[in-house]
Amino acid sequence: MARPVTVLLFAGARVAVGRAELRWSVPAGGLAAGELARQIAAEYPRLAPILRSSRLVHNGEYVRGPSETVRPGDEFAIHPPYGGG
Amino acid sequence: MASVRLTDRPLSVASAFRALEARGAGGVTIFVGRVRPDPGTGGRVVALVYEAHRGPALARFRALAREAERRFPTLGLVLWHRTGRLRVGEISVIVGAACAHRAPAFATARFLIEDLKVTVPIWKSERARPARRPRRPRDRRVGRSAG
Repeated sequence: MARPVTVLLFAGARVAVGRAELRWSVPAGGLAAGELARQIAAEYPRLAPILRSSRLVHNGEYVRGPSETVRPGDEFAIHPPYGGG
Repeated sequence: MASVRLTDRPLSVASAFRALEARGAGGVTIFVGRVRPDPGTGGRVVALVYEAHRGPALARFRALAREAERRFPTLGLVLWHRTGRLRVGEISVIVGAACAHRAPAFATARFLIEDLKVTVPIWKSERARPARRPRRPRDRRVGRSAG
């Protein structure tokens, strides 16, 4: 069985989901980043409005486009607008 | 030379100043951000909790330092940020720049803090003192006997 994707959630995204981390099953050949985000939002509807203003991060780098492939074992993060300082 | 740090330990201005020691540094600017009670909540904010996506945050700190070194004639840089629960008054962030003269030192520190706030994956959330319950109106009725 393929390893799941680790989904990291921060700030409002974490509050909306109620967890800081999810394990998400994807096909062995991977899944488009946009489709992965859509699936997560479908499972957690409160996340949908936050996703619209968030940046997606794949293995520590910003996702370049919705068709970028996320593979089993990868790390996928949802970054709501930043607020350090 | 840049010092970047993301830590759950208290930040020290004296340590930042020491990290900015550099030969020829005639101007040193240090910006310190602290937790303040938010007037919008009636001063009920007692703490802020900072969280970060550590790997990307440190990578962005380093990229930001490289960009500052490209733009300004710097001799030393500090980019330090705290994580975890911070009470009102505690230091959340220190950025600093050492340059030969004051003008680039001010400009560099300004650039660092303004960019950090919008490009580094760090978030804060408020922890507030619970609101007081409104008092029940006093019962002004008199002369009633029990039973």
